[in-house]
Amino acid sequence: MKTLTREPMLGLTLLILVALMFSFILYPQIQVVLVPGLKGYFAFFAEGMWVKPLVNSLEAMVLSTTTAVILGFLYAYAMIYSDMPGKPFFRLIGMLPLLSPPFVVAASYILLFGPRGLISYRLLGQSWNVLGLGGLWGVQTIAYFPFAYQLIADVLARSDPRMEQAARNLGAGPWQVFRTVTLPLARPGLASAILITAIYILEDFGNPALIAGRFTVLPTQAYGLVSGFGDFVGAAAVSTILLVLALVLYLGHLRLEGSRSFVTVSGKASSMPRPPVPRLVTWGAFTICAILSGVILMVYGVLVLSALTKAFPANWTFTLEHFDYVRVHSLSLRNTLVYGCTAATLCSLYSVLLAFLVQRKEWPGRRIIDFLAIMPAAVPGIFFGIGYATAFNQRWLDWLDRGVLIIISMIFWNIPVAYRAAMAGLAQIDSSIDEAATSLGASSLRGFRDILFPLLREPMLTGLGTAFVRVVTTLSVVIFLFTPSTTLATITIFQLVNDFNWGGATAFTVAVIGMAIAVLGVIWFITGRRAIMTHSIGG
Amino acid sequence: MSKLTGENPEATGLPEAINLQPAHLRLEHLVKSFGPTKAVDDVTLDIPKGSFATLLGPSGCGKTTLLRTIAGFYEPNEGAIYLEDQRIDHLPAHRRGTAMVFQDYALFPHMSVFDNIAYGLRLAKVQRAELNRRVHETVEFVGLQGLEKRWPSQLSGGQQQRVALARALVVQPRVLLLDEPLSNLDANLRERMRWELRSLQQRLNITFVYVTHDQSEALAMSDWIAVIKDGRVMQWGDPWEIYYHPRTTFMAEFVGAANLEPVKIVDRHPPTATVIWHDYRLELPAPEGGTADQALLCIRPESITISAKPDASARHVSLPGTVTRKAFLGHIMRYWVQIGEAEWIVDESDPGANPQPFDGTVYLLCDPHRVHLIAQPM
Repeated sequence: MKTLTREPMLGLTLLILVALMFSFILYPQIQVVLVPGLKGYFAFFAEGMWVKPLVNSLEAMVLSTTTAVILGFLYAYAMIYSDMPGKPFFRLIGMLPLLSPPFVVAASYILLFGPRGLISYRLLGQSWNVLGLGGLWGVQTIAYFPFAYQLIADVLARSDPRMEQAARNLGAGPWQVFRTVTLPLARPGLASAILITAIYILEDFGNPALIAGRFTVLPTQAYGLVSGFGDFVGAAAVSTILLVLALVLYLGHLRLEGSRSFVTVSGKASSMPRPPVPRLVTWGAFTICAILSGVILMVYGVLVLSALTKAFPANWTFTLEHFDYVRVHSLSLRNTLVYGCTAATLCSLYSVLLAFLVQRKEWPGRRIIDFLAIMPAAVPGIFFGIGYATAFNQRWLDWLDRGVLIIISMIFWNIPVAYRAAMAGLAQIDSSIDEAATSLGASSLRGFRDILFPLLREPMLTGLGTAFVRVVTTLSVVIFLFTPSTTLATITIFQLVNDFNWGGATAFTVAVIGMAIAVLGVIWFITGRRAIMTHSIGG
Repeated sequence: MSKLTGENPEATGLPEAINLQPAHLRLEHLVKSFGPTKAVDDVTLDIPKGSFATLLGPSGCGKTTLLRTIAGFYEPNEGAIYLEDQRIDHLPAHRRGTAMVFQDYALFPHMSVFDNIAYGLRLAKVQRAELNRRVHETVEFVGLQGLEKRWPSQLSGGQQQRVALARALVVQPRVLLLDEPLSNLDANLRERMRWELRSLQQRLNITFVYVTHDQSEALAMSDWIAVIKDGRVMQWGDPWEIYYHPRTTFMAEFVGAANLEPVKIVDRHPPTATVIWHDYRLELPAPEGGTADQALLCIRPESITISAKPDASARHVSLPGTVTRKAFLGHIMRYWVQIGEAEWIVDESDPGANPQPFDGTVYLLCDPHRVHLIAQPM
């Protein structure tokens, strides 16, 4: 504490960061929780129309999380443990779904299996009703298993091969090693990966909106109440239920992460190879990865096909006319690019400075701020969006450009990813490095600027890349904030799909993914070609 | 019973000369706690100007905490720190003029050797010509010519060590703090760097505060040594004093090896005390404090001569014993000799001169001047 009062600039910086955090993370959330008021809550709970969506949400979450995690684990195990051929290809395919809004899987699913779908109607001559839990389950499984894969691969990669080598050395067979060493060591990490995947699925708005039909879940109910009835009070109450569920899962995740430090041995990857797995397992792994990447390629392949043909799947004539929609809606694409780059940059700067103050300095309330910084990860997008809408769509803020509001929401919604990356990066830098600068006469902020900031370039760009991708792919946060002039790419895709304009929607999706890849390519080039995304809000 | 007289103060270090020079760095009743544990517990020290002062102690004793408190990385709970009569414990760490050399060197990995060394001068806004001159001077001083453009990762451990030193010296600190700077070097280089550091310090006449757990390093380099245990200064003195006049059993056993044996004080006439040791009556300088009639007799293993025959001159204490173990350590042969209940450690220098190691019954001869009394705690 005294160090802060002794360095007024440092204290001032901290005050500003904390004030921003209170205004843009805590305040809007409290607004949502308070909006219904005691009476509102009583009336709302008595009415009981939340029961069905709650049950539906939980049902979909349990089903989809289970299958997504199983597939994700198989994919991750194959990538980390087997020496199957084609790993770089599989890695790339596993990244692809992270670059697009998850709900494009639902669009692709309708094109394949819908009433006039390629497989259902064209090949099998059936006209299925795909709306409902079954469709949602399938779509969420495919949309979120790549997330589960990234989270689990991260956990598995961090386990120390020396333990497994030691077990083999003591006479354990491959299966025994897996059962007695690999799995117990990875268990807390796996559990926390499961919880994070569950949060993603619980918060999913786009897929249920497109495919769940009458099977209403909490996020779609909240949206329906606002868009259909202008009922902000009901929406706030519904999303508060959602928040409570997500927070419970997230606190469980944080607990597990705390205990994880006991088991994962070191952050550094050991250069020792893992013990070889039997040939049969390797080929099994290859088969599974081939099938799963086939599914992902099919999902995206269908999008590309639909974008390039007249009326997929009925009319396969090649055309570029759908890309006209990209031109027509170029405003939303430009907004996404501008807002995304601005928000991601500011977010990573804010986060790295905050991480420095939290990790390297001592001050009262440090733990609380640390928690607030990672808390948005647990806040469902729909809740976050409603929070900003209620807190800042006010008359006295009319002078404020709505685009600025969207940028601010994106900055603070994405702080957990950038903050975590910065914290992990800082933990790699021994504090004696900045103390050396101090002892040579550098004030804390000067030392941060000269020494830590350049050294943290990589985690900063990682945070930046991830935050950018999340801006490009989010729908739920911005659906309550956009105006005609500040619309975003995900909104446009969503609207085009709702208009059943499949050609336009898919062409636009292809353009958005192309833009995301281009931006990430630039960052990748700047970082000297290192990893530029952390795939998780948790890891 | 023979009567022998031991220890002549003039022949040893001069404890009364301590702190006659003006204090340069002054620590007053310094306390630093982490939760309930006191890492630094009421430390008071006066470190003279231009001296090489070492904080010596086992790991976890609080010596590094003490150093970091001086540097300003920790806030003391109580007490004061003065540097050249200016109170500095209120100043932020970067305004204290206490440059530090870290155990892991803490070189800035994204800066060249030149930029690492120039960093402190740039902070002080030194003009470019002056900056270049001082950096080059320091580079030459520590022997890093030709490496200015290298990156820290391209340097050997010894070179990195020199860069760390140069980086701290170039800002002309009022006091240089060194935290186990040699512990990451291999044995030979460590030995060489000791002399380099010491001669550097003497040429520059800068006050050094040096932290180490290595007693031979402390003895070899320091003007003054503070031995620290559990956050407290156990003893403060010059190396000679620390080695030959340990005040407690901890001191005797931590710095070098020591033979300790309880003896009875039969007569106490400060400044001397007479003790009975086997068949000898020794008149030795009295220990400070402790019980009136008991003391511990302390002899260093190398102060004892091992011999096949008893001493004929009667000027030495001469005790018969039996060799129980021996170990060849290269520069010495170490014997464990049983005398009555006690086992004594005896070092024979230049073992090669005696091709037939001692065995069976031997005599231990020791000069009473080499014997020292430690107070038996009450």
